[in-house]
Amino acid sequence: MKKYLLKRVAMAIVTIWAVITITFILMHSVPGDPFRQESKMPKVVYENLLRKYGLDRPLSEQYIIYLGKIIRGDFGDSMKSRVETVNDMIRRGFPVSAFIGLEALLIAIIFGPALGAIAALNQNKWPDYISMIIAIIGVSVPSFIMGTVFIQFLARNISWLPIGGWGSFAHSILPSLALALMPLAQLARYMRSSMLEVLGQDYIKTAKSKGISNATVVLRHAVRNAILPVVSILGTVATNLIAGSFVIEKIFGIPGLGMFFITSINNRDYPLIMGTTIFYAIILVVMLLIVDIAYMLIDPRIKLTKEGR
Amino acid sequence: MKKYLVLVLAMLMVLSFALSACVPKAPGETPGEATPALGAEPKILRTNNAFEPGSLDPALAQGTHDSWVLDHTFEGLTKKDVDGKIVMGMAKEYKLADDDVTYTFILRDDIKWSNGDPVTAYDFEFAWKRALDKDLASDYAYQLYYLKGGEAYNTGTGSVDDVGVKAIDEKTLEVVLESPTAYFLELTSFYTYYPVNKKVVEANPDWAKNADTHVSNGPFKMTGWEHNATITLAKNDNYYNSSAVKLDGIEFTILNDENTAWQKYLGGEYDFLTPLPQAVVAQLKNEGNPELVIGGELSVYYYNLYNKMEPFNNAKIRKALALTLDRQTICDKIAQGGQLPAEGVVPFGMLDENGKEYRDGVGKLVEYNVEEGKRLFAEGLAETGFKVEDFSKFSILYNTLEAHKIIAQAAQEMWRTNLGIELQLENVDFQVKLDREKAGDYQISRAGWIGDYIDPMTFIDLWVSDGPFNDAKFNNPEYDRLVKEAKATTDQKVRMENMRKAEKILMEAMPVVPVYFYTQPYAQKPYVTGVFKPLNRYPYFIYADMNK
Amino acid sequence: MENVLEVKNLQISFKTFFGEVEAVRGITFSVGKKETVAIVGESGCGKSVTAGGIMQLLPMPPAFFKGGEILFNGENLLEKSEKQMQGIRGNKISMVFQDPMTSLNPTMKIGYQIVEGLMKHNKMSREAAIKKSVEMLELVAVPQPEKRINQYPHEFSGGMRQRVMIALAMACNPQLLIADEPTTALDVTVQAQILELMKKLQNQLGMSIILITHDLGIVADMSDRVVVMYAGQILEVGLTHEIFASPKHPYTRKLLASVPRLDMNREERLHSIEGTPPDLYAPPKGCSFYDRCSEAMKICKDNMPGFDERSRTHQSRCWLNHPMAQKRNSMNGRGI
Repeated sequence: MKKYLLKRVAMAIVTIWAVITITFILMHSVPGDPFRQESKMPKVVYENLLRKYGLDRPLSEQYIIYLGKIIRGDFGDSMKSRVETVNDMIRRGFPVSAFIGLEALLIAIIFGPALGAIAALNQNKWPDYISMIIAIIGVSVPSFIMGTVFIQFLARNISWLPIGGWGSFAHSILPSLALALMPLAQLARYMRSSMLEVLGQDYIKTAKSKGISNATVVLRHAVRNAILPVVSILGTVATNLIAGSFVIEKIFGIPGLGMFFITSINNRDYPLIMGTTIFYAIILVVMLLIVDIAYMLIDPRIKLTKEGR
Repeated sequence: MKKYLVLVLAMLMVLSFALSACVPKAPGETPGEATPALGAEPKILRTNNAFEPGSLDPALAQGTHDSWVLDHTFEGLTKKDVDGKIVMGMAKEYKLADDDVTYTFILRDDIKWSNGDPVTAYDFEFAWKRALDKDLASDYAYQLYYLKGGEAYNTGTGSVDDVGVKAIDEKTLEVVLESPTAYFLELTSFYTYYPVNKKVVEANPDWAKNADTHVSNGPFKMTGWEHNATITLAKNDNYYNSSAVKLDGIEFTILNDENTAWQKYLGGEYDFLTPLPQAVVAQLKNEGNPELVIGGELSVYYYNLYNKMEPFNNAKIRKALALTLDRQTICDKIAQGGQLPAEGVVPFGMLDENGKEYRDGVGKLVEYNVEEGKRLFAEGLAETGFKVEDFSKFSILYNTLEAHKIIAQAAQEMWRTNLGIELQLENVDFQVKLDREKAGDYQISRAGWIGDYIDPMTFIDLWVSDGPFNDAKFNNPEYDRLVKEAKATTDQKVRMENMRKAEKILMEAMPVVPVYFYTQPYAQKPYVTGVFKPLNRYPYFIYADMNK
Repeated sequence: MENVLEVKNLQISFKTFFGEVEAVRGITFSVGKKETVAIVGESGCGKSVTAGGIMQLLPMPPAFFKGGEILFNGENLLEKSEKQMQGIRGNKISMVFQDPMTSLNPTMKIGYQIVEGLMKHNKMSREAAIKKSVEMLELVAVPQPEKRINQYPHEFSGGMRQRVMIALAMACNPQLLIADEPTTALDVTVQAQILELMKKLQNQLGMSIILITHDLGIVADMSDRVVVMYAGQILEVGLTHEIFASPKHPYTRKLLASVPRLDMNREERLHSIEGTPPDLYAPPKGCSFYDRCSEAMKICKDNMPGFDERSRTHQSRCWLNHPMAQKRNSMNGRGI
């Protein structure tokens, strides 16, 4: 187990380094820079600004300097905001995004497989159809449409649901719901097909032949086996969740990390782009690692240790 | 195994509840939650600032996302009144010496900072020199180049002591300009010229980063800044004219998405809103909804033509393009924001030497006349040897935005119908477009220009031959001469006449095709009154009132 | 001897998109106390459906009971509710399945899979149930049972898993064990062990066994009586030695003939029964074996023969055995 963990951590570091380098290269190869926006800026002022942010040095030098700062945990100053450093922004934005992300993840994890299981148990009857319609809607309707629909029809008509913004738990309800729909749908569909497969297995017949109740068969025998493949896609689901969060945050006006991510690219705010990208990369890598470990812990057929039983 | 999963779930639940306790509460997010004054409901105007300010330090402001808040929290030597005229602000009077470049401002006696300190001339001198400090790297430092020695200091070739601003005493400020600037008083109302509290800034370089360290001299002061969420302003009792301020406070949320913002306005969570989604403006306009106000703007939308490239070096071709563009239709049917078809390059709303509308004095210099356009086009083709088919290689370049796309499509269609040419469309990132225009790598490109101050010169001087923004590469010595002469004097008669002549020359040559003059539509609830919108600024709430 | 199980004219069909499939078309047989009854027949003859039907483990759409009774200790199982059936399954009637590799829950410890049934039916406490499952594993000769109850199925070999299955099935001491092809998936040596085990347990615990198989060798070894099924019907039933010594139905004769024997010489061809079973969507009016029967008569085509009840133990449904049919010579079982 330890050896495996070490190997994964090492791979994670390499991955993150690759993300840093590739983003750096891509970022600087896109035309434009952070200061051309105000096209009226005189050349001298422009050069002033370039110098201030170290953009006048050769790229390779900028890269080394930047790597050095990263290792010390300093993501640098934002080029657009004179008020906060990138670290400030991440520190402020991340808990907000994490809150909504976790809320959405919980909704998806709890209701997705449940929906899928219900569909499988009532195959081709109306609970199945309804569940699958919900799933298809969740997967096909883009989250920004869902978000806009929620605002227009739910937030406007239900007084205690705020229309966008942030500040209380009520503010997080609609955005997490909109964000949760796609992962919920993915998990539901996956769970449904997994359940159907499991329900057709011989050991389910064995379980039934022991005379245990249907509920027990479903919960203890079927679900337990059906959930395994679903756990394996949690990693992908989580990544989709993160990507979806940018759009949702923009629509609902949530002051999270996602908003920075998008505006920083438009502004060519290099340090912020790098900071948010690296941060997300770290989160993803960690999440995938957690999911993999969880999967191994849950499935007894996968050996973790050398000493077999 | 099941227990394990239950445990994990339970932990996640606990975590989420714990996090909910850490959800940052934006102060006074719910409407009307501010401290009630003497039993009466406080008048807090709620609106949206769309983007997080890059800075609320006047020297470091970069655009409207900063300036809207700054315009309510600071005040300069002069200010705008409800009719858009320049009146005295922090200064009570001024004198202009005979050399036309030396101004002496006498400050009012009753002006104070929000922390009680008196506002002095030293604050102004400090603020302006600070904004020119090249180490501060202010984006808008160039606005202060009107000051003698300003540019030199900012570019590192001069010393700070040579900059033409000096505090003679606490209430007297002497300003020396590089050359006569007829609109200097207009400039002193601009945010780069706002004062800052010298004591506060010297003591704390991060003074502008938080509400509790922010000190300002305007009608409102900042009492809360929840980054990326809300900015809260409260009436500044230390403001000399606070009796005229009816509002108790203003609350700006920071909400990017203009559709969600509109929903909030509809839902009653905003009392005022700008900008509005384009479709909404069109709809409100058609309904004749009184909540919609079409505010004037100091900007022009036009198409650059690369004059150095054939056949755009031929004036007849260029004029033909201008004559065959149906500006009225574009404004009414496509842009639908209450925009006005362009009649030249200088927008409406500016006054000439007689105090009258400048455009009335210069006349309509571009119109829609398909017959004339076709005729000129044919002549132009003959002269240049180009054929209609050759135009299929050319494209209309615009920066990626739905609004620009549909206008470009309309223009493409109009030119196709009227002249028979099949132009392509090309959209790129804004930065990329700027680069290509600078490099001359385009044929027709969409552009816009926002005036910096209320005087036609802010548009006229765009097209001097060595102008940094003369992407069309217009080159006319007479034009250059007229502009140079106008810039050297404060005599409005001379200036206005020169500018009129210059604009006529420009429109005769038509190096660019003007399309429309921008407007800034905004929505305000029926119970909101007293909002006024100066031409080149966002709406002012200084004298606004709410009577629910 | 009272019969543990009496199946009377059981009819089971399947509703499908293409119509009704009559899988079991009226079968009648019984199983006595401590008796082993073998049900033989080729694939698709309806023996597994019968087994599933007794336990009511068939998916109820599309399957449905068209008619008949299943009396277990005198009570008709078809009238019982699902809850009542749950009380019977694993408790009074147990089943052992064919493929030990897939019949056990891969993510559940072996011990728990046995304990589960014990706790439900015998209302045992967890500790008692664990003790009992260790005993059961000992009974089926799984070595180191205390250690192995905490292991997962993938840590056992095929033969071991089948032993575990048997332990599972026997834990609550059922009266009737239905073994559906219990050794088909195992290799021959293991097969013998399993069969030995089953016989031993039958003696020890006094239960009845329904042994479903297509392997006549096992039948000869283990069963007391044999039921021959074909196309959803019973064609012949009798004591084991009666069936093997003097099979009365042409089908049975052919079945016995098709078993390869050690004393065949190399040039002799293997006997198979030509043709395929009839389509159960539209079962034939007459004898279902008509198409493949080498001794068929005109009457067989449209008329289903009844059981010849002259013997109490050995009966068959064939017009050839009708008192009015012509006598045939050399009708001894093997060697045609």
